[in-house]
Parts: sequence; C-alpha cells; structure tokens
Amino acid sequence: MRRSTKEDKAMLGKSRGLNILPIALFLAFVTYAMPGLVGDASAKEAFAEQVFAEQAFAKEVMAEEEAAEGEGEPEIEWSQDVFYKDFEGNPLKGPVSGAPAPELGENDYNNYEFAPSRIILWIANQQHLYFGSFVLAVPIFCMLIEFVGIRTRDSDPVMSEKYDRLAHDLMKVSLTAYSWTAILGGVLLFTFITLFPGFFKYMATIFRPVMHVYALMFLAESGVLYVYYYGWDKMNDGGFLKWVHCSISVLLNLIGTVLMYLANSWATFMQAPGGIDEQGRFLGNIWHVIHSTLWNPVGIHRILGNIVFGGGIVGSYAAYHYLTARNDEERAHYDWVCYIAMFICIFGLIPLPFAGYWLMKEVYAFRQQMGITLMGGIMAWLFIIQAVMIGLLFFGANSYLHNSMSRVQGSQRYMKYCKYMVLLLIVCFTMWMTPHTIVMTPAELKEMGGAQHPIVGHFGVMSAKNTAVNLMITCTILCFLLYQRSNKKITVPWATVGNCWITAIFIGAACNIVFLGVYGYFLPANQRVGLSVPQVTSTLTTLFAGTAINISMFKDSESMGDIKWGTQSKVGTYAIFLLAISFTWLMGLMGYIRSAVRLFWHVTEVLRDNSVDAYTLTIGEAGKMLTFNTLFVWVQFVIVFWVASLTAKKGEAKAPDAVPVPAQQQQ
Amino acid sequence: MNKSFLSLILAVAGWAVFHFGLFPIFTPAEPGMLINRYVYFLLFCFYLIIVNVGMKLKPAMALRALYVWMLGFYFYDHILSPHVPWTLFITYMMLWTIGTFLYISQDPVTFREFRAPIVKTIIGEYKLARIVAFSVLPVLVGWATYQSIYPSFAEPVELRTVHPAPPASTKVHGKTYMLEKISNPFRIDEQDNYKDSFPFLDADKQEYMKFVTEGGTIFFQNCHYCHGDQLNGLGMFAHAFNPTPANFIDPGTIAMLQESFLFWRVSKGGPGLPNESTPWSSAMPPWEEHLTTDEIWKVILFEYWYTGWHPRTFDDESAVGE
Repeated sequence: MRRSTKEDKAMLGKSRGLNILPIALFLAFVTYAMPGLVGDASAKEAFAEQVFAEQAFAKEVMAEEEAAEGEGEPEIEWSQDVFYKDFEGNPLKGPVSGAPAPELGENDYNNYEFAPSRIILWIANQQHLYFGSFVLAVPIFCMLIEFVGIRTRDSDPVMSEKYDRLAHDLMKVSLTAYSWTAILGGVLLFTFITLFPGFFKYMATIFRPVMHVYALMFLAESGVLYVYYYGWDKMNDGGFLKWVHCSISVLLNLIGTVLMYLANSWATFMQAPGGIDEQGRFLGNIWHVIHSTLWNPVGIHRILGNIVFGGGIVGSYAAYHYLTARNDEERAHYDWVCYIAMFICIFGLIPLPFAGYWLMKEVYAFRQQMGITLMGGIMAWLFIIQAVMIGLLFFGANSYLHNSMSRVQGSQRYMKYCKYMVLLLIVCFTMWMTPHTIVMTPAELKEMGGAQHPIVGHFGVMSAKNTAVNLMITCTILCFLLYQRSNKKITVPWATVGNCWITAIFIGAACNIVFLGVYGYFLPANQRVGLSVPQVTSTLTTLFAGTAINISMFKDSESMGDIKWGTQSKVGTYAIFLLAISFTWLMGLMGYIRSAVRLFWHVTEVLRDNSVDAYTLTIGEAGKMLTFNTLFVWVQFVIVFWVASLTAKKGEAKAPDAVPVPAQQQQ
Repeated sequence: MNKSFLSLILAVAGWAVFHFGLFPIFTPAEPGMLINRYVYFLLFCFYLIIVNVGMKLKPAMALRALYVWMLGFYFYDHILSPHVPWTLFITYMMLWTIGTFLYISQDPVTFREFRAPIVKTIIGEYKLARIVAFSVLPVLVGWATYQSIYPSFAEPVELRTVHPAPPASTKVHGKTYMLEKISNPFRIDEQDNYKDSFPFLDADKQEYMKFVTEGGTIFFQNCHYCHGDQLNGLGMFAHAFNPTPANFIDPGTIAMLQESFLFWRVSKGGPGLPNESTPWSSAMPPWEEHLTTDEIWKVILFEYWYTGWHPRTFDDESAVGE
C-alpha cells in the first residue's frame, strides 16, 4: 500500500482548500442564521431601539425644518407602521411620504385573449428566476473551484490546471446564460408594466430608489463579469494577478448577492409588508421597506437553493457528456465534473431544509393565519407534494453517493451498510409523507373507525415529520462520511478513539432526535414547536463534529487504491438527472406556494388584487403550470449549453489534450 | 439443487406455514405485548433471514429484491391493521418500490446481478422461464384490465358526523328544554373543586359528591356494559358495535361538548340522531325511556368527575358578538 497522495485528497475533496472552505462557509452561515432561529425576538428589539432613535431624530429635524419654514406650511402627518414596533411594543410612527395604496379597478389590468394575465406573468417570473438562480450560482462555483485550483497549484499542477479549466468552462456557460437572464428580466418587467400597470405603479412609487440602484448594480455586475471572464487568460500568471482575478470573483458574487437581495425585497414586501401604514402610505424610511420581516430568511434560502440548483444543472450537463463520451479521457473528465458538482450540490442541500424552517417560522410570526394557510389550509397538499419531491432529492443524493462509493477501492468495508441506510431512509420517508388528512372512500373510513388511522395516523403531525427529516439528513451525512473515508486506511494512533467518538455522536444524535420526537407528543403545541431547535442542533452536530473528526483522522492515512474516474455506474449518473429535474420542479412549486399564499392580495392586507385572476389554482392546474415551466426552462438550458459549446469545439480541434488527464490515471 | 430455487421453495413454504399456521395464533381478539401481528411479522422476517444466511443460500439478487418487495407488500396489505386507505397504500408501495430499487442499484455489480436473470429470460437463455413469463404476463394484464373495468358499487359518499349539531330544543319526559339555556342542576361548583376527593368515603359530607356517587351507581348499573368501567369505551359489549361506544377519556368526546349536548344525546340515544349521523348510527338506546331526568343529569355529572374533564361552556364573547 502506498501513502495517500495529494491527488487523492484533491480528488476526494480532502485537500485543505476544499476541506476548510465549506466548513468555514457553513460556520458563517450558522453564525448568520442562528440568531434568527433561536434569538429572533431579541434581535428585533435591538433593531427597534435603533429605529426608535432614528425616528426621534427625524422628528427633531422635521420640527426644526418646520420652525425654519415658518407658520402656514402644511403640517407633517404621522402614521403608524403596519409591522415595525418600538421597544415598548407600540407601532412605530413615521412621516407619511407617499400616496395610499390605490383601489384597483378594471382599468388597472390588461389582458391578452390567449391566456390569463396571471399565467403569463407567472411564466415570465419563473423563467427569469430560474435563470437568475443559475447565473448567481455559477460564479459561486467558479470562485470555489478557482480558489481550490490556486491552492493546489504548487502541490499538483495538473489538478490545478484542471480546476482552472473547469471554472473557466462554467463561466463561459454562465456568460451566455447571463444575457439570457437579462432578456428574461426585460420580458418580466414589460409583462408587469403592460398587464398589471396599477399594481406596478404602486410598487414603483415605493421602491423607486431601490429600482434605480438595482439597475446600476446590474451594470456593475456586467462590468465585473466581463473583466472576470475575458481577463481569465491574461491574468493567469500564476502569481499576484491570478489572486486578483480570484478576488474579482468574490466581488462578482457580492454584487450578485446584493442584486438578488434587492429583487427579493419586492417579493418579501408583497408577502409581508413593513415600512408603510395601513393605507399603504410610505413612511419615509426605505430601509424599513426593504428589510421587511421575510427578507433575510428568503435571501438565505435562495442562496442555498441557487447553489443546489446550479449544482444540479452543472451536474446534469456533465452527466449528459459522461453518458455520451466517446473516449476514456472524456469519460474520466466528466465523471470528475459530476463529482465536483454533486459535492457542492449536496453540501447546499443538507442545510436547505433548515433555512426553509426559518422562513416558515418567520411567516408564522408575521401572521399565524398565513402560516396555517400554508401548512394546514388550502396550500397543505402542495406541501405534501413538496415532501415527496424532497424525499426524491434525498434518494437521488444517496443513490449517487452509494454508486460513487462502490467504485472506490476499499469501499467494500462500508458498502454492506448501504442497505440499512436505504431502509432507514424509506421508513423515515414513509413517516415524512404520511398525510394528516387522507383521501378515502366511505368504506375505508368505516374500516378505520375514524378519519385517523390508529397507527399511521400518529405520523401525520409535526413531531413525526421533524424526527423523520432529521434522521434522513443525519443518514445522508453518515453516508457522506463513509464515502470520504472509503479508500482510506486510517493510521492515526487515536483511530479507535476517533471512531468511537463518531459512533457516539451519531448514535447520540439519533437517540436525541427520536426521544424529542416522541416527547413532542406529550407536550402542548406551543412548547412542542421549541423541540425542533435541539433536533436540528443534533443533526448539525453530526455534520460539523462528525466531518471534523473524520477529516482529522485522514492524517497520514494509507490509500487502499485510486478512484477510477470514468467508471461511475449509469444508475448513479441518472440519479443526477433526477436530482436536477426534481429540484427545478420543486423550486417552481415552493415559489408558487410562497407567492400564492397572498391569496387575493397584491400586497398583503394593503393592496387588494381586484383582477379576474385573483383566485387560487387547483392543485392539478398548478402542477401543470409547474411542469410546463420546468420543461420550458430545460429547453432553454439545452440551448444555452449548446451555444456555449460552439466555441469549445474549435478549441478542442486545436489541442486534443486540452482535457487534462486526471491525476489518478497518471501514475 | 439450485440454491436460489431452494431458497424460493423455503420462502414460499415458510410463508404458507406462517400465514396459515401462526398468523391466527398471533391475532387474538385482544392482542398482547408479544402476541400480536407485528411481532408475527418480525418473526417471519427473522425466519427468512435465518434460513437464507444460516444455510448460506445466497439467493440471486433478483430473488432478494423480490423478497424485499413482497415483504413490504405483505406488511401494508395484510399486517398493518386496520387497512390503510387505497391512496395511502399506493403511496406506501411506491415508496417501498423506490427503496427496493435503491437497494438493488446501490452499486453496478448488484444492479447487473439483478438484471441478469431478467435479460436471460428475455433473450431466451432461460427457456422455461421465458415461456412461463410471456404466457402469464398477458393473462395478468387481462386480469388487471378486467378488474379495473368491472363495475363496482361503492357506498355513497356520506360522511358521518360524530357529534352532530343538536336541535334548538328537546322534549324529555313531557317537558321542553331549550338546549342553549339549560345547565346541569346538580353542578354546584362550576370549577370542579371537589374532583380530587373520593366519593365513596365522604359522599355524605358533601352534597356534590353525593350526586356524583349516585351518578356513578347509575352508570355502573346501565352504561358500563358498553362504555367500560374505565369510561374508555371498551365495555364488555363494545366490540359488538360499529361504531364502537364513545370513549369519554378521549379529549375529542365529552371534553369538547356542553352538558346540555350530553343531556340531549343520552335522552334520545341513537334513534334520536339527525340524518347527518348516518351511514351508520349509534346503537345507544334512548335513555329517557329508562332513566329519570335527574338520573340522566347525575350520570353526566359522574362522567365529567371521573374523567377529570370540564364541560365546555357557552362562549360569552361570541354571544355578545352575535
């Protein structure tokens, strides 16, 4: 046996760069999200104190102005905010600075003969969002991959080159997709202006400065993007300029995130407005309007969602090329790309449900009724469909991991546990998607003796669901750890202790999750909600502590054999398509739910939707629309990838060895 | 003999023995902690594992997948009791099928092993299997078609309301009571402060407990045969009725009802229920024919005292709102 090489580490994602970076990112995410999950109330109060001071200052200034202008000037009217409160819990007051929300009539809506306006707007919105999501995700990928490439340059130039080439290729696709996104954004804007002029006028009045900043940021994004892409080869000097180039990608991502957050503020304002009074009059503080209660959770949820979505698309692009590859080199390359894409995708997927929980918590905190409409009312069955889709994602991810693991030498030690993990996943998923209300015939109802089944009826509540999903995630994490160590022979002296710790952490977490799940049945609902926090903490502990111990044990480990890139099974490859398509559909579904929960409001409780389209679609109709949007966007993705490949072919003919041979096959 | 074939024979024979021999033993009228259908299912799973592992039969992957899938089917179709509705059954089986597929496709080797006999059957390497499979398949399809188009007559959709809305007034023993206005004449303390005392010791000391004790006597003379001596709806006759008698311990019964509702319900029994309580109505007799008005009220008092529930009271705020 030989010592595990740096190449192995790089390939399996064990190089220092790839190890530390995701963990650092996670820690950053946790520090950012945790206050929202556990200490939200105090955070808001502190914020309220700040705004209270601002308000006092504004009052003072206005009084001075008033005094200076002399008498006879119209008095400034003060009104109460619909959302923000001062630290005593009274509604915050602000100077009325805008017109009240209009009562929209027939003349405020236009329509075409061929389709309802709402459907057209839905398609335009969804397509723009899909592309926007992809375009925001790819630079995150490129940043990470380029960074890893720079870090591995000294130890492994071939791998470094490979990483760099991959990042560049992805950017090329992103460039085409970028202009496409802008075009779709234009289509969306025109759809708003032409079909919903009354509504758009109101939004534009409130968000006027934000919209201009948004447009300018777009300009900045384009500039940085072009410098980043077209300066790639020029700045590839292997030294200072390369670092500058990598830093530009950080800037690109920052601007992209700001862009997304600005656009998010419009949607979150519509769902849970703040900074206006009951009549919809703007109260003078633009930050309040932007920073409404759902702004942060939606932003975090979307960033993670974008990463998973982007991973899925890049993965399926690579999977397609893998399946159609004509020679071993190509096959090896695309197998490796699949791996990188899936690595990032699964890392985004694991914390995604928690961000979702945070968002739902904030929705409930804003209006309990809105939460109930989502989880227990007319949207409840859409959430059941969501449960199915999330289950598919986890199945797809685990199937890919199992199949990838099987081609690593030394994995036989762990492959025998796969079937038990599958069993656990299926049992948990069965619990996860047992509905509370079941569709049944009278005869079936009679046999059961009531609307609830005496056994599986217990699974229809949140205690069971939380337990199930946390166990599913923990199981996926375990699978990931086993995958990481599949070709390693651990040689550190504390191997036994380390293994015991990992086992203890996982068993302890599982026991805690199950205990809290069962305990939840004996508590009233308001206390039961609190149990989800320690459950999630248990799961995250397995992720952080488990991964940390696992990676520490790889020091001086012996390799049991190389990964044979290009030998991924077909089932594992098809799992990537499943992931990507499910995720596209799921994104559409959750977007629809989030948007449709406003029911007959454009802006919740402020601006009423008086159009003929202010109805909620049936589940079937909504499903058809989602499927259409999914198919439509994938057709566009195929076109975009095809356009991007046009330039690649020329390069390929010039230099046949442009695709570097994977390090694994070089020895 | 082919080991896979031996495994199949043992599995089928074992199932026959378990299903026809052991299953009736494990499903008595009152299942216990060990003697119940779920323990039976676990035992059958152990049997399959022990036979295959112990005898080192190593059945073919396709056969193993079949075992796994059939175990799921057997559980959801036969073991899980009462039956889950068809929609849920389909969902569960779909999940189980996905799980079976994940099991066989966890690595290329097992997947190839799984496919091998299927491919060999199709291309004709297994001649007999091909003849059997291709003869049985059309029959199965035909049978499924027949089943699906054969007209069936389901019960009309008429959901039973367990607690129907009571009428505005009811006439018991010649006197008309307005249900919204009446209350239990024996409920002395609204707050149930006596509920922790033991009636049979200090009944003579407290008037309230005297009524409760009287109510208890009436309950055990008339009601407990069906509603059970612990008021949990599991009396000795309970199993003969569909629907089963009400379980007063359950928070969904008397705890969410007003005393006047109980008064109406006890007085009029099953025959007095409105149409919405069909398709299958309560078997409870109209107790006004057997008990006096006071006795009915006392029984109601006892039921609340025993279970610790407090009757639902009229909501003053909503009354003002109206």
